[in-house]
Amino acid sequence: MTLVGRAALLLAFAAALYAVGAALWSRRKGRREFLASAERGVWAVFAATTTSVVVMWTLLLSDRFDVADVAGYSNRTLGWRYKITALWGSQAGSLLLWMWFLSIAAVLVVITNRKRNRALMPVVVAVLMGIAVFFTSVLSFITSPFETVSPVPADGRGLNPLLQNPYMESHPPLLYVGYVGLSIPFAFAIAALVTRRLDSTWITSIRRWTILSWMFLTIGIILGSRWAYEELGWGGYWAWDPVENAALMPWLVATAFLHSVMVQERRGMLRIWNMVLVILTFTLALFGTFLTRSGILSSVHAFGESTLGPYFLALIVVVLAGSFALLISRLSALRSENSLESYISREAIFLYNNLLLVGLAFAVFWGTMFPVLSEAVQGQKITVGQGFFNQVAAPIGLALLFFTGVGPLIPWRKASPRELRRRFAWPLVIAAIAVIPALYFAQEGAHWWAAAAIVLGAFTIACIIGEFWRGMKVRHQLGGISWPGALGQLLTRNRRRYGGYIVHLGVVSIIVAIACQGAFSTQGDLALRTGQTGEVAGYQFTNEGGTRSRDDHKMSVGVALGVSEGGNRFATLNPGVDVFTAQMQRSSEVAVDTSPFRDVYVVLVGLTPDGLARISVFINPMMMWIWVGGIVMVLGSLIAVWPSRRRREAVAPAAAGADGRVRE
Amino acid sequence: MAYVLIAVISVLLVALIAWPLLRGAPADETAAQGDDLRAVEEELQRSLDAIREIEMDHRAGNLSDEDFEALDRDERARAVGLMRRRDTLASGGEA
Repeated sequence: MTLVGRAALLLAFAAALYAVGAALWSRRKGRREFLASAERGVWAVFAATTTSVVVMWTLLLSDRFDVADVAGYSNRTLGWRYKITALWGSQAGSLLLWMWFLSIAAVLVVITNRKRNRALMPVVVAVLMGIAVFFTSVLSFITSPFETVSPVPADGRGLNPLLQNPYMESHPPLLYVGYVGLSIPFAFAIAALVTRRLDSTWITSIRRWTILSWMFLTIGIILGSRWAYEELGWGGYWAWDPVENAALMPWLVATAFLHSVMVQERRGMLRIWNMVLVILTFTLALFGTFLTRSGILSSVHAFGESTLGPYFLALIVVVLAGSFALLISRLSALRSENSLESYISREAIFLYNNLLLVGLAFAVFWGTMFPVLSEAVQGQKITVGQGFFNQVAAPIGLALLFFTGVGPLIPWRKASPRELRRRFAWPLVIAAIAVIPALYFAQEGAHWWAAAAIVLGAFTIACIIGEFWRGMKVRHQLGGISWPGALGQLLTRNRRRYGGYIVHLGVVSIIVAIACQGAFSTQGDLALRTGQTGEVAGYQFTNEGGTRSRDDHKMSVGVALGVSEGGNRFATLNPGVDVFTAQMQRSSEVAVDTSPFRDVYVVLVGLTPDGLARISVFINPMMMWIWVGGIVMVLGSLIAVWPSRRRREAVAPAAAGADGRVRE
Repeated sequence: MAYVLIAVISVLLVALIAWPLLRGAPADETAAQGDDLRAVEEELQRSLDAIREIEMDHRAGNLSDEDFEALDRDERARAVGLMRRRDTLASGGEA
């Protein structure tokens, strides 16, 4: 069976190599049958890669411990769900998953472009299959998931207990979908540059791909944070870990692109800048994959020591050098159609937002790579702490929050002062009202960042709600439809704009919650014998007895804690610790009571045989709003990306008369 | 058994890839011309969307009369230009 898996990967490699050659040949000679054959090559890559994934899952589910990745990342007691997820527990398996998603994405590109972008498709196919050649060659010749071991162990080592978590079942695949999805805009950008078809066609073709990829990256990052919060047991959710940063950087640059692309569509500006952003986004996605596999930085998420680093580094250098050389050769064809008319206009706000997002991505890159750079220059590894990242991210995050509110209220091209005063009156009143509670909460610890986040959050929400209100009012008055109907029409007629506003609501929720959690969280340690009560931040915890259990898989200890506030009992929490017997590895099972205003988060540090429980308690305000914000962002993205009925139909030439009069 | 399976998969994949070469060129429209027409149609659709959005923003009070007139006039002129280009391309001419 391993032979079939290996052969399938070799076939995928050969088909990808052929597809690159046939696609380029079709472009050079104008032979359309070679493009059709190259597109069939994409299908062949998908079929072969799918075969090797199916083989790998079969090996995992049938406990074939003669395969190194099965012996290393699975065992007999592991449940079938985690046997499936063990595929991406190993380095080779995770690359196989990457490759599989790439083949699926490439097939979708071929299907959706059967009758469009025919002049771009040869280069698009060549670029996508070029990336596939890299991954299939790594999987075939450098690190195969089908490597065998001898002698065959009686049982496997099992999956890392930290990865045996529902969030880890979905977090890595979703991140990979995001990373892989970003290769599509890159392929179209390169195709536009090569073919010199630099109008907005390529932008239109990749809009949905970019939003969807960005959405999957968002879900992946949020689920990763949720996993860290529930599984690592340190009371937080984000530690500026190199691998967390690796996912954040392409997300930030992709966010910048999603905004600046609107400026190109509407005003024909920022065309070079958009190309740069697409190239950087894809390069950073590759960089993220490189970071987790190079072994150059230590992280709880990384695969440790590996020999793959130089190969990925070479790919990144080739992509960057090739793309920028091509871009420079086309600079004259990428001149803007218009120039900035005013520094107070929608396009100017998008530009400021872009500079902030890319600036933050650069700061994160600098902080992440500083240990490597300092070691290379000074011979001493200097690690950059969370303080650096927080100091940089806090002011930039607040500025972004401000522009999130301001942007939609400022028209394209220019805004008159009278209009601005009128538009910002109500949001400023709301922000002024929010100053009072913000100062009250912030004064004790001089948490001015949190106070600013609350005020700006109120301002931005007022701006967004105002936009919805004005749009609904017009529809309500014009069409005589109900208010809910007006809202529905607003969302369906301009999904991208109003879906974007909903995403912004999620962003506000997350930034304000992060600021409040950072500023106002409280931590305390307690040691309680059975029946004893202790207090942290006004909450009382009573030890109601410990539990111990054992099965084939793990040994568990836990303690039942009655939790009260002001004498009112509101929860029983059961924090515990599991020790997984296969790896002899400890894993905290934190207990959390969630409410809209705070999380009571308890970690069991130790439980002695005589019942003494040592616990750490964290009171984390507003935590729920980070996860709610993530859900709202995904909802908004889905609304923005959902095809409207008008778009699903063919473009109706009769939608406007020759005088340009538009009928709804 | 594994070798037979590998041979079958290989033959199927080669047949899949080689079929368009054996069958000859697909009879679709000229790639560049079809792409140009579609690009203009999509550009026109964006322009019409922009006109609608400007009208809605004006009605919602987001744009002053003066700003609305300037933005609306320019966008309509662009839409008319795009319609002419589309008609030329659709009739088989050079845009």
